[in-house]
Amino acid sequence: MTAAVTAEGLSAGYGGRPVLHDVSFAAAPGLTVCVLGPNGGGKTTLFRALMGELEPLAGRVALSDRPAYVAQTERTRLDFPVSAFDVALMGGLANGRWWLPPRRSDRTAARAALERVGLAAEGDTPFGELSGGQRQRALLARALVQDSAVLLLDEPLAGVDPASAQLIDAIFEQLREEGRTLLVSSHDVEGARGFDVVLCLNRRQVAFGPPAEALDRATIEATYGRELIVLEQPGAARAVTIQHHEHDHGKQ
Amino acid sequence: MPSPLDLADLPFLREALAEVVLLAVAGGLLSAWVVLRRLAFFTHATGSATFPGLVVADASGVSPLIAGVAVALGYAGGVERAGRAGREPSEATALLLVAALAGGVVLASDVFESGATVDRLLFGTLLGLQSADLALSAATVALVIAASLTLGRTWAAIAFDPDGATALGLPAARADFLLLALVAVAVVAAIPAVGALLVAAIYVLPAAAARLVARSIPALLALSLALALAEGLIGLYAAYWLDLPPGPPVAVLGALTYAVLALATGAREARLGAATA
Repeated sequence: MTAAVTAEGLSAGYGGRPVLHDVSFAAAPGLTVCVLGPNGGGKTTLFRALMGELEPLAGRVALSDRPAYVAQTERTRLDFPVSAFDVALMGGLANGRWWLPPRRSDRTAARAALERVGLAAEGDTPFGELSGGQRQRALLARALVQDSAVLLLDEPLAGVDPASAQLIDAIFEQLREEGRTLLVSSHDVEGARGFDVVLCLNRRQVAFGPPAEALDRATIEATYGRELIVLEQPGAARAVTIQHHEHDHGKQ
Repeated sequence: MPSPLDLADLPFLREALAEVVLLAVAGGLLSAWVVLRRLAFFTHATGSATFPGLVVADASGVSPLIAGVAVALGYAGGVERAGRAGREPSEATALLLVAALAGGVVLASDVFESGATVDRLLFGTLLGLQSADLALSAATVALVIAASLTLGRTWAAIAFDPDGATALGLPAARADFLLLALVAVAVVAAIPAVGALLVAAIYVLPAAAARLVARSIPALLALSLALALAEGLIGLYAAYWLDLPPGPPVAVLGALTYAVLALATGAREARLGAATA
């Protein structure tokens, strides 16, 4: 089967300076990929390159479909006069007819997506008045409306309440069963073990493979450097990452 | 105190009235996109940047409207390129703004000695509006309505989440440039009546105030349009009564509206905060 997402010798960065080197991997349809790495490790840069927003400085990327993207919620504007429904409806713009008003089918898709992410009752709520987890789910609804074969999600579980996290996980599972390819960036090494494969980045590709094989102590240390504490346990190395940054997690 | 009906009866005021209504419609709608896309400073700066071009045109007999549109579009292109090259856009904007304003004053007072025109270009005039001014304003209204209908969803999606908009396959760079260009044309259309220094009064203030209370983009557009019309008409009447150009009273009204709404919504939020705390 041809891969849904391919990177070959990819280097990407800003203003001609690469911040990410030598990324080569292929993800088949229906594969869930957890992209692990420290802050500044290149996770968001990889996503920008896959979206075509950043031209590769070297190498190439290929995707089977224009990817849907779910940004970190703190990158969206809380003071923007849109409701959860309006955000979901933006996914309909991906149909290529951006100059036309939304069609009935777009509205139906947006309502269905909100229901799927558990926000059916919050459709009219302003985006900025949703909790952090609800905002993340509204952005996920927009990606669902986009109906892409490839989804890129930038730390979708960061700062999300446990109920939202569970719902989002369940949707990931459904998307995988639908044969969609998911790339999900995360700081959570333990959570990564639930994915089909992990892609470890620390300004370059450290490892790519099933978590049971790829996530050994050497890989985790190479990925996180001094940002982590490794807890030795019989059988496997358990890593706890220390985050040096502040996320604005908003209202929970 | 003169009768407000004079606005419709006296011929020179009728022209000013038509101009103010046209600019209010353009400003009410366009200011919504300006505020959502965070182009308030750019809009103000475009007015100032156009000023030296108008001085040169005025002195050399070139149509000031054509010269103004050329300079404003060039300025919009420069800002867009500077932003794409990763330079801090507000720094580039501030730099160009100061240079343009100072250059215009030097040209007007020392080179062309057209001191009387400078006041008019900077602060607008109620008298002597020409049919070309009205025609450009009407064309601006048509462009703003057409662009709001076709590009509004795209502009909103870009302003809400630029990365997400790219992923939606939207022509983000072209849509952004079209908005900058539209602001440039609209600013030039407003200069005869409102003045280069006060264009923000109609292209920023209505939506800035409306945004404090609007909960959806259609509501923002509607309220911003209503405010722009009210401020324009009351401002025009005040200008006629107090013997002023219309720009300053419209700007003062816009700022007062913003202040009142900001205080009211701030007080409401404080009350809600106290109730939930």
